[in-house]
Amino acid sequence: MYSYKHWAAVALLGTLPVAATAKPIAFAKGTTVMAEYGAGTMNEAQLFYAPRYWYSLGGGWLELESEEGTKQRRITYVRGNLLAKRWNLPGAQANIFVWGGLGQATGNDFSGSTSSRNAGFQADYETRRVYSSLRSDLHESDEFSHRIDTIQVGWAPYAHDYDDLATWVVVQGRDYTGGLYRGTEVALLVRLFKGRTWVEFGATADGNLQAMAMVNF
Amino acid sequence: MKIPMKSLHKIVFALLLGFSSIASAETIEMDVNGLVCAFCAQGIEKTLKAFPATESVFVSLEHRIVAIKLKDDADIDDATLRKAIIDAGYAVVAIRRTENSLESIRTRVSRRD
Repeated sequence: MYSYKHWAAVALLGTLPVAATAKPIAFAKGTTVMAEYGAGTMNEAQLFYAPRYWYSLGGGWLELESEEGTKQRRITYVRGNLLAKRWNLPGAQANIFVWGGLGQATGNDFSGSTSSRNAGFQADYETRRVYSSLRSDLHESDEFSHRIDTIQVGWAPYAHDYDDLATWVVVQGRDYTGGLYRGTEVALLVRLFKGRTWVEFGATADGNLQAMAMVNF
Repeated sequence: MKIPMKSLHKIVFALLLGFSSIASAETIEMDVNGLVCAFCAQGIEKTLKAFPATESVFVSLEHRIVAIKLKDDADIDDATLRKAIIDAGYAVVAIRRTENSLESIRTRVSRRD
């Protein structure tokens, strides 16, 4: 039986118009809004504005919950993203992003709130048919330390153009540290994007919903 | 002051040449590297549409082409275009000026598909 969180995620996706790489910086003078429902282990919402193509500023909200429900974290943070390196190739692009930020966190195994730190990186490579990315995101405080490592490999059954609906099939592996999840959480996803909007949905091997939506404007 | 006839011819020729290059530069076509997704195209389109001289923009991910239709008697110089594409995060390989319409470029690249 799906919880209200599952349906809330589905409803959120439904509010967005239909839309290969979730990047912390979309384009210069662009705003990115993202919401992710991560199989019940993590939920995240972010908003970033990029004054230039190589950096963006903004913030987010992250909720983490362990498999057994014994650990819960709610982190609100501000963050800066930097495009450390980009390779523009004929028919391909590769990027390295790094980010850092500060936040405030609450949890169910410590009292009050605590200051938290955030740091991470993403390396990705993309053509119009193949996509791969490796992302590591660390949230830590004096009370906890959680690193979320995500690897994605995607394949597009057809090469899309600007006005087309792009369709991707993505396999995702995700590891959590700090006692949130044992082993690697594997998910199979379908990613659709068109114009400025992107939606992604699928399920983990445990049968939990994994969904994400992003819009750039 | 008397201007020699030979120099006057040169001045008139240079002026006509300059005028014709502006008047005939209806469309600018650029080959751009790094164009792989709609978000890339969206960023470039947004940047180029911000120029007062731009009437419309066409992007082909398949052919890695960005084309700009200019307003009448308007122009954007190559250095400005190159900077705009670089500032959008992409790499310019070549810039061509043509009298072809944006529609004919669209038709040409769709025929190549």
